[in-house]
Amino acid sequence: MPAEAQQMGKLSPRLRLTFAVATVVCVLALAISPVKDYRAEWKHYKRWFVKYAQGRPDTKRLLADYSPSIDQVWLPGMNVTDRCTTCHQGITQSSLADSTVPQPFRAHPPVPHNVRQWGCTLCHRGQGLATEVPEAHETTLAWEQPILPARFLQASCGSCHQADLIETPQLARGRELLVHLNCQGCHKLSNLNRAALGPDLSSVGYKVTREWIYKWLKEPRTVVDKDGNATVNGYENESEPRMPKFRLTDDEIKELSGFLSVQKAKPIERYKISPLVVAAWTRNPDLLAQGELRFRQMMCTTCHSLAVTRAGESKMIGGDIGTELTKVGSKVNEEWLIAWLWNPKSYLEHSNMPRYGWSDEDLYKVSQYIMNKLTDSDLLTNVPQLGAPTEAEISAGKRLFAEKGCAGCHALNGIAPQKDFGPDLTALGAKNASELEFSKAKIQHDLVSYIQAKLQDPVSVNPAARMPQYNWEPADLDAVTTALLSQTGPAATSTLQRLVVPRKEASFQPVGAFAQVYERYKCYACHRFNGFGGTLAPDLSYEGSRAQRKWIADFLKNPQTIRPTLILRMPQFNMSDQDAEIAAEYLSLAVQNSEVNPQSVDARQFTPAMVSLGQQLYEVKYQCQSCHTIGGTGGYVGPNLNNAGNWLTPAWIEAWLRNPQALRPDSIEPRRNFTDEEVRALTAYLMTLRAGITPQTTKSAANRPVLTQGAGR
Amino acid sequence: MRPKFRVLGAITLLFSAVASVLLLSGCRKAGAVLKPDQAFGFYDTEADWNDATKVINLGYQESQGKRVFYQYCVWCHADATPAGPSNRSNLTPVPPLLNDGEKLNRDSDEYLENIITLGGSALGKSAMMPPYGQTLSAEDIKAAIAFTRAIAQPAYQKPVRPGPAYAAKP
Repeated sequence: MPAEAQQMGKLSPRLRLTFAVATVVCVLALAISPVKDYRAEWKHYKRWFVKYAQGRPDTKRLLADYSPSIDQVWLPGMNVTDRCTTCHQGITQSSLADSTVPQPFRAHPPVPHNVRQWGCTLCHRGQGLATEVPEAHETTLAWEQPILPARFLQASCGSCHQADLIETPQLARGRELLVHLNCQGCHKLSNLNRAALGPDLSSVGYKVTREWIYKWLKEPRTVVDKDGNATVNGYENESEPRMPKFRLTDDEIKELSGFLSVQKAKPIERYKISPLVVAAWTRNPDLLAQGELRFRQMMCTTCHSLAVTRAGESKMIGGDIGTELTKVGSKVNEEWLIAWLWNPKSYLEHSNMPRYGWSDEDLYKVSQYIMNKLTDSDLLTNVPQLGAPTEAEISAGKRLFAEKGCAGCHALNGIAPQKDFGPDLTALGAKNASELEFSKAKIQHDLVSYIQAKLQDPVSVNPAARMPQYNWEPADLDAVTTALLSQTGPAATSTLQRLVVPRKEASFQPVGAFAQVYERYKCYACHRFNGFGGTLAPDLSYEGSRAQRKWIADFLKNPQTIRPTLILRMPQFNMSDQDAEIAAEYLSLAVQNSEVNPQSVDARQFTPAMVSLGQQLYEVKYQCQSCHTIGGTGGYVGPNLNNAGNWLTPAWIEAWLRNPQALRPDSIEPRRNFTDEEVRALTAYLMTLRAGITPQTTKSAANRPVLTQGAGR
Repeated sequence: MRPKFRVLGAITLLFSAVASVLLLSGCRKAGAVLKPDQAFGFYDTEADWNDATKVINLGYQESQGKRVFYQYCVWCHADATPAGPSNRSNLTPVPPLLNDGEKLNRDSDEYLENIITLGGSALGKSAMMPPYGQTLSAEDIKAAIAFTRAIAQPAYQKPVRPGPAYAAKP
């Protein structure tokens, strides 16, 4: 037995060697795991941060929360598990804000949402769980949501903030464009205002010829060549026509133009200009010059733009609320134009064009100017002779009208817009790259590239796309991309849903006699009332607290520019005394601000001493003349105060001086530390400024300014 | 013979597996560096005022400063404004253009913060510069200064702070 045992305990040298090697191998194999762990990418950044912090004077503070393990922000309610802070270790360290601090240690710029409460991926996207650089930031096979490039970051604000924020101008511009271009005509989108539609075409046959429609469909937007020559109707600028270019064949255009040219649902309500007026003016060599003068005086260019050539350079002047008018004389027929100017609503129920108070003389002069001067004899030269459409063309045109989605923007008798014509885009911003079709487009396969390619050239990513061709300024392209990326569908969790800031639906419907005045002059096309209406002209929500009733009435009858830098001005509507009184009464009584108490200031208590103190404060201590003009001298920034005493109420001036932003949050006039005495003195001084630009007695013909000449009613 | 081969074979297999794992783990670069433009790039841009073909990239804070500037400051501190004419030529002393590096680079951030917050007269300058301390937040004012620094011509150099040199990437 002992010999056997001895034999068993004694291993052959070969076996011994085998065991030795196997042991070493096993130890090595066991070492792999700690070595790999030590070499993990995130640990490299952890160690680097310690070294970096030790090289700085504020080491102690930087390393106060340091732990060698993975850091994460875990917010179960918001579906956030973000390990980004494992490498981005200085994200909340204000001393690391400097751009010389190497990434990934730089501090986050100060934003309203901090990392500890919101995490990172809610705004930046990317993979919160990943601990390797490419997996966290880029699109990989396993992770499809890359980091959102910083220039589209406002999209993330828009996912929750359905109302616009002042900090996100790009998002606001994108949403504005989605509304302006009526993308909702074909697509489902959320959190947008109701779009303005294209014109109702039910009676378009009375307005334009088949040839003009042909031209418009072929080339709705204008291309200006490098010499500045506009080759087609319209100009390439921010007031481009909203109508995009559809990819139509010549035959399709013929059929569509044929179909549209026979749309005559409701005859024009013709207006006959007195033959006496026509006879008196028709041979007057001054007719067109006079027409142009009236056209300018009435400030048509506040809403409509015109191309002008100045110093050899073609450019657009005027607003973009109405259509561009450069060549409108070659577009519409005269009978239609006169009826339209007389009463726009009779042709287009939803039009934003106000109904002016016309004298026959003015109407004749202006319509002749438009028909004879705003023309382009070459406009229709490339259009074939089309003649009257055949039955086949009309029925084919009708089919095309529905197929091409025209009804999404244009109402037309008997053709209802198709529901869900284009894809639903309410969750486009949350799509993964694998859900998108890239066709043969040679672009990066991610969502941002897809959206931009689709917007720029719809057929590049889908050869069968029905979407028309738009023409984008680079900044607008990014803005629309941002707005589309913000359409991320319903919130992922109920906690997030509760955080959504909804968009307010604003509306303003005045009652009583003013309702008709408001509708007739379309005040809301430019002015805003309690959040509803245009932004071109001042917000009138508190006009009753601000302006004196008599001034409002005078202003409406003869609008003047109050702000020296403004080129656009309120149109001269030739408003009747009665309409002006109704509007002044309503505005001064119904739209007030509770911050302004009319009883708080008694103008009768102002003394000459207060006035002179006020003048001194205005001119010397506070130097208000750097922004405001009085008597022809002063700055261009604030309104002209020449007539402040007739224009503003003392209570408004006082409240305004105390805190302008309380009355108008977006006002740029800074809030100052005036004492009560200074406020009263300044108010007293401003109330003495009555060197009016508005005439004191508008009824006296002698005092009437040149502007209203010939505006007899 | 047979068992010997088996053992040797097993050892070789194990060894090569270990070696390959070690090699693979050693292959990966420690700290892959992301191209900055790829993911973060810039938040907004502003054309160089002196040369419109050059575009200056703005970070978040600078772009907020751009917003503040174009709402509140542009009227006097630029020669063209969103409304057209500028108020700058109406004023004496003429306010500096916001990109005027020659003038503004000499002023520290703290000084600019003070003059925006308290106004010109508080610092012995023209009273035409009004105080914005009660209208703009401290954050907005800092952002506006960051925007000034970003568009300055000649470019703004941050003053070197005293203290040990910060460690560069190891």
